[in-house]
Parts: sequence; C-alpha cells; structure tokens
Amino acid sequence: MSTLTTNAEAVTETPDLEILARPPQVLNNRDPKWVTGAVCSIVEGKTPLWWWIGFTIAATFAGIGGACILYMIVTGVGVWGSNSPCFWAWDITNFIFWVSMAHAGSMISALLFLTRQRWSISIARVSEAMTVFAIMCAGVYPAIHIGRVWFVWFLFPIPNNYGMWPNFSSPLLWDVFAVTSYLTVSSLFWFAGMIPDLSVLRDRATTKIRRFCYGIVSLGWLGTARQWRHYEMMYVLLAGITSVLVVTVTTIVSSDCATSVIPGWHATIFPFYFMVGAVYSGCATVLTLLIPLRLAYPQLKELITASHLDKVCKLLLFMGSCVAYVYVMELFNAWYSGNAFERGAFWERFNGLAAWYPITCLSINLIVPQLFWFKKIRHCLPVVFVLAILCNVGMWFERFMIVTTSLIHDFLPSSWHIFHASIVDILTATGTVGIFFTLFLLFIRFVPVINMSELKATLPDSQPGHAAEEGHGLKS
Amino acid sequence: MKKIFQHPTRDAKPTLWRTQGERENTPEFSESLAREFTAGATALQEQDDNGLSRRNFVRLMGAATALTGLGLTGCRRPEAHLVPFTKSAEWTIPGKFLYYASALPTPVGAVPLTITTSDGRPTKIEGNPLHPASNGATDAFAQASILDLYDPNRSKEITYNSATVSRAELDAFLAKVRTAAGTNAGEGLAILIGKENSPTIERLRAELTKQFPKILWVEDEAISSKESDEAFDAVFGEGNRPVYDFEKADVILSLGSDFLNPSETGLGFAKGFTKRRNPEGKMNRLYVVENHFSLTGGMADHRLRIPASGIGDFTVALAKVIADKTSDTDLAALASSYKGSGRTFSDAWIKGVADDLLAAKGNGIVIADSQQPVAVQALTLGVNKALGNLGSTISVAQTAIKPVSTLADLSKAIQTAAVKTLLILGGDPVYSASGTEFPNSLASVPETLHLSPFVDETSKVTHWHVPAAHYLESWGDARSIDGTISPVQPMILPLWNGISSVEILAALSGEKVDGPSAVRATFNTYSKDSSDAGWQGFLRNGFAQDTAWPRAIPVFNQAAALPLIQSAESVVASDFEITFLRSSSVGDGRYAGNSWLQETPDFVTKLVWDNAALFSPADATKLGIKDGDFVKLSAGGKSVEIAAMVAPGHADGSISAALGYGRRGVSHVMENVGFDVYPLRENSALCYRTGVKVEKLAKPAYVFATTQEHQNMEGRNIAREGTLDQFQKQPEFASEMDGEIAPPVSIYPNPPLTSDLQWGLSMDLNTCIGCNACIVACQAENNIPVVGKDQVRRGRDMAWIRIDRWFSSADHSEENLEMIPMGVMCQQCESAPCEAVCPANATVHSEEGLNLMAYNRCIGTRYCANNCPWKVRRFNWFDFNERPLDELYYGPLAPKGMAESLKLVKNPNVTVRMRGVMEKCTFCIQRIEEAKIARAVKAGASDVTKTPLPVFKTACQQACPSESIVFGNINDPESAISKSRSISRTYTSLNYLNTRPRVTYLARIRNPNPAMPGADLVGAANRSSEHA
Repeated sequence: MSTLTTNAEAVTETPDLEILARPPQVLNNRDPKWVTGAVCSIVEGKTPLWWWIGFTIAATFAGIGGACILYMIVTGVGVWGSNSPCFWAWDITNFIFWVSMAHAGSMISALLFLTRQRWSISIARVSEAMTVFAIMCAGVYPAIHIGRVWFVWFLFPIPNNYGMWPNFSSPLLWDVFAVTSYLTVSSLFWFAGMIPDLSVLRDRATTKIRRFCYGIVSLGWLGTARQWRHYEMMYVLLAGITSVLVVTVTTIVSSDCATSVIPGWHATIFPFYFMVGAVYSGCATVLTLLIPLRLAYPQLKELITASHLDKVCKLLLFMGSCVAYVYVMELFNAWYSGNAFERGAFWERFNGLAAWYPITCLSINLIVPQLFWFKKIRHCLPVVFVLAILCNVGMWFERFMIVTTSLIHDFLPSSWHIFHASIVDILTATGTVGIFFTLFLLFIRFVPVINMSELKATLPDSQPGHAAEEGHGLKS
Repeated sequence: MKKIFQHPTRDAKPTLWRTQGERENTPEFSESLAREFTAGATALQEQDDNGLSRRNFVRLMGAATALTGLGLTGCRRPEAHLVPFTKSAEWTIPGKFLYYASALPTPVGAVPLTITTSDGRPTKIEGNPLHPASNGATDAFAQASILDLYDPNRSKEITYNSATVSRAELDAFLAKVRTAAGTNAGEGLAILIGKENSPTIERLRAELTKQFPKILWVEDEAISSKESDEAFDAVFGEGNRPVYDFEKADVILSLGSDFLNPSETGLGFAKGFTKRRNPEGKMNRLYVVENHFSLTGGMADHRLRIPASGIGDFTVALAKVIADKTSDTDLAALASSYKGSGRTFSDAWIKGVADDLLAAKGNGIVIADSQQPVAVQALTLGVNKALGNLGSTISVAQTAIKPVSTLADLSKAIQTAAVKTLLILGGDPVYSASGTEFPNSLASVPETLHLSPFVDETSKVTHWHVPAAHYLESWGDARSIDGTISPVQPMILPLWNGISSVEILAALSGEKVDGPSAVRATFNTYSKDSSDAGWQGFLRNGFAQDTAWPRAIPVFNQAAALPLIQSAESVVASDFEITFLRSSSVGDGRYAGNSWLQETPDFVTKLVWDNAALFSPADATKLGIKDGDFVKLSAGGKSVEIAAMVAPGHADGSISAALGYGRRGVSHVMENVGFDVYPLRENSALCYRTGVKVEKLAKPAYVFATTQEHQNMEGRNIAREGTLDQFQKQPEFASEMDGEIAPPVSIYPNPPLTSDLQWGLSMDLNTCIGCNACIVACQAENNIPVVGKDQVRRGRDMAWIRIDRWFSSADHSEENLEMIPMGVMCQQCESAPCEAVCPANATVHSEEGLNLMAYNRCIGTRYCANNCPWKVRRFNWFDFNERPLDELYYGPLAPKGMAESLKLVKNPNVTVRMRGVMEKCTFCIQRIEEAKIARAVKAGASDVTKTPLPVFKTACQQACPSESIVFGNINDPESAISKSRSISRTYTSLNYLNTRPRVTYLARIRNPNPAMPGADLVGAANRSSEHA
C-alpha cells in the first residue's frame, strides 16, 4: 500500500485490475490536499482564453434566442412554424428534450447516491448542474409558448376575485407543478451539496470580495460534527425526494401526450418511454460535458477517471436498449391494436409527409448506443464524445418525431399538413443551447465542479482500518 | 298633490335658532318650512361658473338645433327616404337587428335577400324565405357581397382623365350627351351594360330607345349564355326559356352542366334536386358527362369524364341510340346533321344511360351546359323532346328577353367609327374581353365612361370613371330566375359617393331620380296594386306578387332546330382544349376584391387565393407536370403562363382554368392572386377553346395555398356512403361501419346536461353538394378573420366550418372516381377531449351541451386544438384583425388597426378575437341566446321551459341551398333535429373515441344503375382497404 501523495506522476489510465476488484475513485493515490487544489484551482486560476471564447459564443446565442422570444411575444406565435394540425412543434419538442435531459443528472446524483454507487461522486456535481440548467432551458418554453404570455398566471392556482381555478385535469397544469417542483428540489439539492465545497473556497479566498461572496453562499459552514450530522440527514432526504422526481416528472410530462386522444400519443407506454429516453439523453449530455472538461483541466482526469466514463457509457447502453425496446413495442402495439387510426399513424410516420424525422431518430437511437457494447469504443473518448452528441441529436429527433409526426397525421387525413420550422424556431432553440452553455461555463468558473468533500471521503486515508484492505470505500 | 309638511309647534321667540329668520319668525321662514326644496334649487345647483344653467343650456341648444335644421337643410342632399341613425327612428331598439328585404342582382337572376342591419349598417345577408323562388338560402357570393360594400379599396371619386372631378361636372357631361343625342337621335351613343335582369333598366332602355332610336344598346357578360339563348329563342320561340323541374325528374343527365352550383343556375335547382335525393322516398338518378369535377359531378351516380368539346359528340351518340329506340325520325335527322369530331365513347355507357332515360320517359331531364355551342343545345332539346320530357319535367317560361347586341357587335361598330360616346355601366370588359378585339378598339372612341366599383383595367383607359354604388346602397329592382320582381333597397347611404346605373340611365333619359322614384315608376307599370300600400308591401315582402314569367308547355320547333345544327361549324379535334370555368371563389372576376371569397376554397381543388390550370393525372404524367409547375398555354397567337395542378377525375386532353384571376393594379386584395386566362378566350359564350398548345416551363414550381392537401380517406370511415340497394337491405349500414365499440367509460365525470334545451346538428351528406355557402355565411356571422395566401400555405386558415372533399375510387381508377364533400365544424362533443386538457379552464361545457370557448380566459396553449380529433379549432397566430396581412411578421412595427369601413361589417353580437386566442364554431351561440331571451320575455312569469322557443337557424343552416343542415333541440322529440337523428343513415364520425359528438351525419347514398359499366364500384368509398 503506497501512501497518498501530492506530487505523484499523473497517470490517467485506470490500472489493470483483477476481475471484481473495484477501481480506485482517485488515481495515483492522491492525498486530500491534492484533490482540493486540483478542484479549487479551476475556480481560483486565471480565466483561460477558451473560456472567454466559449462564453462569448454561448452568450451570443442566448442573446439571439432571447431576442427571438421577445419578437415572438410582441408579434404572435405565428412567427414560429407551427400550424394546424401541428399546433405544437419545436416549442414542446424542446421542452420535452430539455426536461428529459435533466433526469440523468438527478438520477446520477440522487439515485446513485442513495444506492451507494461511489463512482458517481466525481461526476455528480456536473450532472446536477446539467439538471438545473436543463430545467431552466426547458422552463423557458411552457412560459412563452402560449398565445398570451401576459396571462400566464392563469396557470397557477392563485386565489382571485373570479373564483376561477386552473383546470386540474389538464396535464399541462401538472407540468407546471412538476417542472416548478423539479426545479426547486434539484436546485436545492445541487446547492446543498455545494455548501461544504463553497466554504473551502471561502477559506482559500485571497481577496476580500471572494471571501465575502463565498462566505455568503456557504451559509456559515464550519464543518463541525454537528453541522455534518444535520447536513447529511438533509442531503439524504433531498436525495430521496429528488429520486422520486426522477420518475415522476417525465411521467407527468409524458402524460401531455399519453392522456390525449391523438394516435401516436395516446399510449400507456409513454411514461416508461419518456423515462428511459430521458436518462439516455442525460447520460449522453454528461459525457458530452465531461470529456471536454477533462481535456481543458487535465488534473480532472485523475478524478473523473476513464472508469467513471465507462460506467456512464454502460448506463447509456442500457437505457439506449430500453429505448430500442420501446420503439419496437410501439410499432407492435399499433399493429396489434387492429385500430385503423393507430396503425395509420405509424404507417404515415414512416411513409408520410415527414418520414425523415423518424428515420433519423431510429437510425441513430437503434445503432449508436449499441456500439457501446465494445470496450474499445467505450475507452476511445473522442469516439465516445461524437457518439454522445449523436445520441442527443437522435433524442431530439425522437421528441420531435413524437410531437409532430403524430400531430401532422391525425384522425382526418383532410387536416394533414406538413410542419416546417421557421428561422425563429431554430434561433430560439439554439438560444436555449446558448443559455445552457452560458450557465455551464459560469458554473465551471465559480463553483467547484467536483464534490470535493464527498470525494475526499472516498480516499483510502479517510477510512482508517479499511484503506489497507480495499484501498477505497467509505463505511457509512 | 303637494305634500304638506307637519312641523312641530314652535315658540314665537325660540331660545335656539339656526337663522335670523327663525329667530324673528318671519313669514318667509314659515313659507320655506313648507317647501321641500328652496325655490330655484335646481337652477342654483346646476349653475356653473359661466352662469349657464341646465335649463338655459337645453333652451339654447334647442334653438340652435332648430336653426340648423331650418337654415342649413337646403345645403344638404335630401335624405327623404333614408333615416339617418342619429335621428333615431322610433321603431329601432339600439342593439336589436332590423331586417329589410332586398335582392342581389346577378346575370342569372336576382337572389332574393333579407338584409340584417344593426344600428343603421347592414351586417349580414340571408335569403328571403317569403320569396316564391327561394327557400331562404343564399349562395356564397350573396353571403360575401356584404364585404364588397365596406371594401376600403373601392373607388371613391369621379375622375375625368384621371383627375378628380365633381358630381356636377358628371351631371353636366350626361346632360351634354343627352342634348347631343337629342339632336341626332342618339347616333354614335352606345351603352354597354351587363345582364341586370332589372325591370327599371328595361324601362329606361325602352325610354331611351324611344327618345334616341339610333342608340346602340349592348348587353354582355364575361360569362354569357348567348349560345343557349340563341337555341332557346329558335327552338321554343323568342323569349321562351326552359324551366327544369328537378323535383319531378327520376333520371337526370347533365351534359357538362353544373346545374347544382347555386351561382351557376340559381338556387332552385339544388333545392328541387336534393328533395328527390331522399333514399327513404323515390330517389332520382344522376348521370354526369363533364370534363372537370364540378359540384354536380360530385353528386353523380355515374360520371363520364370527356373533354368539353366532345360533349356534342356524346350527345349525338346518345341521340342516335334514343332515336333508334323511339323511332323518332326528327331526332335522327338532328343527330345525323351534327358535324362532330368523330370521338367515340363506351357503347355500354351510352346504352345504359339511354335505356334508363327511356325507362323514365317523361320523367327525365337532359340538361346541357349553357356555354355549349348552339348545336349541342338544340340537340339536347331534341333528345328531351324524343324522351317526352318537354311539357312534363321541362316547361318554358315566356320571358320578355329579346336578343340584344353583344360586345362583338359593339367592337364592329367602334371599328366603323359609329360610336362617338360609350357608356360602360358595370363590368370590366377590358379585362374580361382581353381575348377579343374590344380592348384595342376602345381607344378609338372619342368619349368613354365607365361605371365601376374599382378603378380597374377598363376605368384606366376610359375618359370618365364613376364609382358605382353597391347594391346595398342604391335603389333598383331585379328579376329572380323565375321572373319574380324583387326590390333592391339601399340599407345605407352611399359610403363613397357611389352612383347606380339606374341614376345614370335616368339622367340620360331626362328622368329626375329622387330616391326610389325610378323603381316606383317601374313598379306602377307592372303591379296590380300600385298604391302606396302595394308599394310598401313590395318593399316589405321583397317581391311583387304574380310577376313570375308565365309558364307554358314547350313546343319544339324542328324546322328551326335543324338549321342550327346544320350551320354549326364542326369541332376540330386537337390534343388539348382549355375550358374556362366560373370560379367558385371570384365568379367571373367580379368578386376578386372580396377577401372572404378569395379565402373560400375552390369547390374541388380546395385552392384559395389562386387559380390553376387543371390537368388530368394521365396528361400530367405524359407532360411531366407536377403540382405548381408552370406551363405556357397558347392558342390563336395568344398565350398565358399559369401554374398547373393535377386534378383527379379530370378528362384527358382537356385543361380547365378558372376565370377571374390575375388582375393587376386594381385593388390591394387582387394583387398577386392567380393567373389571367381571359386572353385565351375569344368567345364569351363558349366554355372551351380547342387547339391549345401546352409547353412546360423551366421555372421554379409555384406553391399553391390549399385548405386540404390529402384527398384520400386512407380506409378510414369518415365520410360514409352506400348504394340504395345496400341501404334498403341494411338501413343502418352507416352506423354499423363502426364495428365493435368498447362500452363507453369516462375517467372524468361528464358535464351535467341539465337544461331542457340540448343542441344538436345533423348534416346530410346525401344532399350536401359542397357549395361553400355555409363557409361564407359562418365567416360573415362570426367575424372570422381572413389570413391571406401566405398563412393558408402555412396551414393557418381560420374557417370555423370547412368542407372536406374526399375522393375515392374503389378500384383506384380515374374512371370510377367519386367525390364526397363533408362539412366539418366543431362537433360539440359531450365528453370533449379539448375541455379536459385546457389548463386555464377556458373551454368548458354548458348545461345545454355546448362546448364553450371563453376568449377572455384563453391563454393560447393550443393543447385543445392538438387534442381535437376533427381539428376544427382555429388559433389566432397573429393579430389578423388588427394588422395588415402582408405585414404580419413585422409585429409592432406594422400599422395597427382595421380600416374604419371594415369595422362596420362586424356582427356586434360576436367578439372580435385578438391574437393568441383559440376560437371555433359555437353553434351560433349568439342566435341561441337571442332566441332564449325572446322566449324568456314571452314566458314572463310562466314556466319558461314550457314556452316554445322562437324559430331560429344557425348561419350555416340558414344559408344552405339544399337544406342539408338541421339544427335544434334534441330533447324535443318533435324537433326537426330529433327526426333527422332518428333516420337510419345517421352515424357519428370517429364514434370509437367515445367523445359523443352532438353533430351527426347522414350517410350518402348513391343510386347506381346496375346496367352501367362499373356500377358495382359506385358508392364504394368505404370499401377500399386500409394501409399496413
């Protein structure tokens, strides 16, 4: 057993291990001081040039997106490409896309935390950040997609002199509750997890302003045993609530479709369908974010190890296979229903006005995740990066396929009409991507990207008496 | 009685006092105690700083008003016959409608109307149910004509050589013309006028001809019936016109005639025909031979598609068979003298029709398109004679119509310099006769005047342009198709100084026109009761009793018919012919400025804001043409470039194009709308021209705006039809098509339907001809905005009721193609999918079973529309009412607000919706509520539910010429709707969804003749198999 070091040579490959041996969470036997330095240096160091370039690009897109939204609000929903029968298109597609993507973050940080999956610790913070930012991007759409934004408060159960309540049987209202509670809980969960780390930044701060700011957000954290006791209790509770939301939020969002009568929407498989798709796309996004992050800050390669990414890839593979199963079941059910409208919806989906959406979606989502069966592919990170982006493209097309192709081929063929996106649709969508990356870049600069306190607890040193046997692991 | 105040007794010298008077107990004080108010209190109270009291103000204003009235009325135009709303006529109740009888003059015959006026402005047009030739229905044109009145693009000034001049100068000009005509008996004076069917204009014409014997009086229309008129004059005697009694006809053969189209031949034909379409009674059978799908072709039991120029050949072939079988030598002589193009047809088809017509001898009708050549007309009448139809199903009306000079005669006269002054009253001949000599010759006339609602193509080349008064703002009269005379009453003073043709003709004849005086003078000549009471009755009822043309038994003049056929030129066979159609949206172009009609889809192509060259699928494949490809059509040295469209069921070797499009520089609405095919037409009386060359152009394809892009039901039983035989064996076949349906279960409790009134609507697909009248009626009634071509292309049309037009062919062949129109509006589901999903509770159910839309509460999530299986909900994507349609995307940078005049056409009882709000059919809830209020008033203290509801109709129902729409209370077993719903053909569309719609449909029944080829493929729209 080697001792922990601060100055070991950086080796980023996970050593070959015996079967069933657990890979170390931190490579090269780093000591806690090194871990703290490695993570805090990202926040404390000079802002790199690539950050400024990336931030400018992202913020520009976000700004254009904001301008498009303003234009839409003052002019009318007609500036989008939506039409009759496709009353929803990119708005709800992007809403579902973003809100679903959020789920993988919650799952990694909360569900895997509760199930004591230690490998998730180093990627949990990034995943949670992704969750919160994705919900923010998602939240843009339900608020602005409506015809009269200034009456959006009709959606909330605010006591008023008309004595009118919202319609509690409408899934859109459930969405309002689901998304607001999800945003609240996941933000709290994310922030709560950061408190000990923020206090570290406070303590290491060299300027008064930094000390003051981090002092405010670390809420007077001292790291006493009493605080830790309360903290851990709260964290487990929040993790529990978040885990429930992982399942319920997509289920509710899927009911927008599932409770309707439209063939292609009206299916009981939808909650599961949305759920697996959500985690699938979220895993892909986590990979898309982590791989360049490791490249930008090489010290992170020892903390976010290839083995961690490998596990995300495996999760992606599993969820991707579930998605493939749903595709097949959906088609089978349509055929098995014997219902002309149900069959017609799927026939037209692949033969009708917009066959290229489903074909793009299926060809990506059926093939790409299956490539992760191969260890070589899972370990070749440039390939993983490209495939992860492809997975998200595929998932966007899946959401788009579900929303539009069902609408454009509904009951009466006389109503059928193709949907074409307008430039405002496209720029609003890229605007949300801009918002996402703007927030993510700010996150990198101002917040520790890895949960240091939790990670340090997994170091062999942190568990006297067990370190010598296993080299890692926390007795909880 | 004055009130005496009892005050308590007071001390003479009180110890407590309020005023010196009370202390002293003066008489003034004692008096003041007895008064309730101090003397002059009101004057004191209202006296303001200027010392002007209320009484003084009223006194002064009264004097001022009186002086204004006395002193200034001389400066104003006399308004003796119209009551301005500011003077508040005593019979008006603000907010309540007033109804006046009037009529829309059309070349075919007037459409009798009842005009709804609201606070002095006409807002809605309905048919006049009192009129003998009307069932209270209208066509789409009559419905939309109200928008023309308020069109802000109408011309507003009299101009002379493009400079604005005063009315006095025009009057001086007319006086000059009159004086000049007086000196030379009218030599060189020509008047070109449309077919007005107006007794007053006929009277003025007679007057003018008497005063100026050499005047040239020309009557022509862009789509004229000269050929058929010539045949009728010859065969039946001058002025005699056939009258077809479709109610008596068992078997009908249409030779290209779209007689069911209300705009083509008047409303009565559709009514009579559909009465006999009843499969529960004795059902008629319809054969149609035509080149393009018409409304009549869509109703056909057997349809044969042949070029329009081949209809003569078909008629001959049929006539020969009939002549053979009846041994009618007269008919044989007629048939053998026809010089056809040698086209041949399926013997079985002709034999089948001939046998059927012969079997129904005396109970059949053979009717040819009025734009077929005179020889075909004569031959058709000969066939009817041989079949014994003359005198039974066909009688003649003895009209006073006399042959008049046509535009061709006028052109000739101009070329010989015989015309010095030409007055063109209405029409736009420079545009509509651009295929003839007329536009060129017009320039050589020294003095020309054009009376027109727009500064149009003709107005631009005439010296004078005079804005024409709309029929809703001028006095006139008109004969309907049966000859009954209706008044044309003004509902409002001319908005923009419009002048009627009656006024101009009266000025020429030296008659002083004062309001209705000219019409009244005519009335006195034909009315049995020319008293004031009789005149009032004429205006009130909207027609003069017993003024219909006398009817007679037709006498077929073989000697006159034969030369008509012998002297006819033979039809030259060519690769392609073009047929010119009366547009179902803009007529001959006269309605091109009407945005409601521009956005009303074509009956068959569902095209809006454009016309197209229609090609048969086979021709399109042969020429490599796809929808939107540009083609160049040339004939006789002229050519037009036009976008092509593939039209199912179209005849091969034939191209059809609607007239009335492609006008430039006339009105904002007409810009960039369609393609002008008038240049290809050399004869306004013939519907076709042969020898057309087609060339495909290498231009980028044109994108049409259509309201329906998919024509095939895809094996879904949406519109249901069967054959008469099937119906008799299995009366409930339509509802049985649903198959096995799960028992109705609802997760949510359905809304309570507690009212005694439960509204329902039934639509009879068997009689619905798909004529669009309901669409425009709904648009007018419910303030539905127009969205423009670009937005329709994007699938954003706003019509609350649409007519889905389905094509079906059981064997996928063009020969057996059928058309079924199906009106679709909000189905008012009892368990409505839209209501459950609205998060804002903006769409809820009423206890009367109506699916309500609360515009104020709607935030525009559009979820309701997504979840509507019929997609009948319409979303205001932009502020269609407030922003110019070509600047919708400019947002707040575009000018805001509606033209002042267009605000006047809005129905005051219906909200004008803003952007971001969903809307849909409400079953005309404003009419329902009006009726309910009237019922409540009538009931008073008695039980309102036991009081009968006043009779009312929804706007679509009221307009429907074939009475296919029935609306009412389904709780009342005696109501028409309950009876209609109990008919065995009733079915509910998309029944398996268990939304329980309140709209039910009656399946279409076809009555095929088993002896005909393809008879087993008729009525088989639901027989084709589904995909997958």
